[in-house]
Amino acid sequence: MFRDFGWQDLVPLAEGAWLTIQLCAVSGILGVIFGLVLGIARTSPSRIARWISTIYISCVRGIPVLVIIFFVFFGIPLLFPGLEPDKFSSAVIALTCFAAAYVAEIVRGSIEAVAKGQSEAADALGLNYWRKLRYVILPQAVKIMVPPGIGFLIGLVKDSSLVTVTGLLELTHAGNVVTNLTGDPIKTFLVVAAMYFVICYGISLLGRLYEKRTGVHVDPLKLPEPAGV
Amino acid sequence: MIFVENLNKKFGPNHVLKGIDCHIREREVVCVIGPSGSGKSTFLRCMNGLETISSGSIVINKHRLDDSKTNINLVRQEAGMVFQHFNLFPHLKVIDNVMLAPLKVAKTSKEEARAKAEMLLAKVGLAEKMDAFPGNLSGGQQQRVAIARALAMDPKIMLFDEPTSALDPEIVGEVLAVMKDLAQEGMTMVVVTHEMGFAREVADRVIFMDQGRIVEEGTPEEIFSTPQHGRTQGFLSKVL
Repeated sequence: MFRDFGWQDLVPLAEGAWLTIQLCAVSGILGVIFGLVLGIARTSPSRIARWISTIYISCVRGIPVLVIIFFVFFGIPLLFPGLEPDKFSSAVIALTCFAAAYVAEIVRGSIEAVAKGQSEAADALGLNYWRKLRYVILPQAVKIMVPPGIGFLIGLVKDSSLVTVTGLLELTHAGNVVTNLTGDPIKTFLVVAAMYFVICYGISLLGRLYEKRTGVHVDPLKLPEPAGV
Repeated sequence: MIFVENLNKKFGPNHVLKGIDCHIREREVVCVIGPSGSGKSTFLRCMNGLETISSGSIVINKHRLDDSKTNINLVRQEAGMVFQHFNLFPHLKVIDNVMLAPLKVAKTSKEEARAKAEMLLAKVGLAEKMDAFPGNLSGGQQQRVAIARALAMDPKIMLFDEPTSALDPEIVGEVLAVMKDLAQEGMTMVVVTHEMGFAREVADRVIFMDQGRIVEEGTPEEIFSTPQHGRTQGFLSKVL
């Protein structure tokens, strides 16, 4: 009843890989946007902003990704009757919620890693909070965020395999389907693993390219320190 | 120009400034000296709101710093500050460091801001370093850029927080020379420093602080040659 694992099986796997890439790209981008907002709120002078973002971040970080995925997938149609997001949208929502919290912590860490003297110098020049953030703090913080951010995106790709439980035909789920057809989990999942590896390695290459381009070999502790002293 | 009355500053249980009274006139150059931990840097930082005031009052150019309605950013535009560790913005070129506040705070036009920055950099002797990044400059050059950056907002007062303490001894002079020029042009200056030679030569008045209080103040001649107070004498005997 099984057929041998063959070239034709690469097609659904490649389609799964493409879906995984789309899923991670969309939720990664949204996660970075919301993560930036949350991370800035986390370090803002407004107590309410800090409070809200801290609660959100602690909650999400304290919940397994799989539970977030189930919650979004089953919960949204129940909480908002009439709203029935498709599997892809559910997965994007779940992964975005998850990513935003972790990105926010990276953003907060990077903002705090910019030397205190930078903030004081901006204050002393009369820059208000937003201008200080825009022209002094964030340009330096972004360079610090890139390496851990890339690391997190790679993690996101791997964690995205969990959305297989919703039946979305991403890479892991495609692997399952092909295994059921061929009865050959070893070959199938070796290919699946190789595809994940290629995606992740591609991201880390992009990160390295960015670091080379900007000349940042990020050493957050050394960056703000004046040279030549 | 600057009126400080019964200024108190506490960091938690730490009473750092204990009732400072001080009046600094326009065009006056005041050097604040004293041992580490005497509160002199904190005193300076209170003058542009980098530290909040626990009690008492500071009035700078008619702006009351202890009044929460005062727009602190307006005060800061009138009081330029130079830090011990320069705190230049490492991601911006030298010229952009100097132009940032005029462009973004004062909303000067780009041409005007650039012309002004070039003029100021020439004044501190760094016209040729305009397009360099701060990381490629020596400490003395960075500090001179920092002075130009502070001057770009046309401050009426300049506050210096140990501007030469992080510099190698042989390049201290180039920074002091710039400050001396500034003093001669009539800038109102408050300088926290360990450079007794500079204080003696340039200051109109020297304030000696210890343990959060102004112990003694007077002309450089009075402080350095005939200090009245035992603690001033003790401190000076160690540093001179």
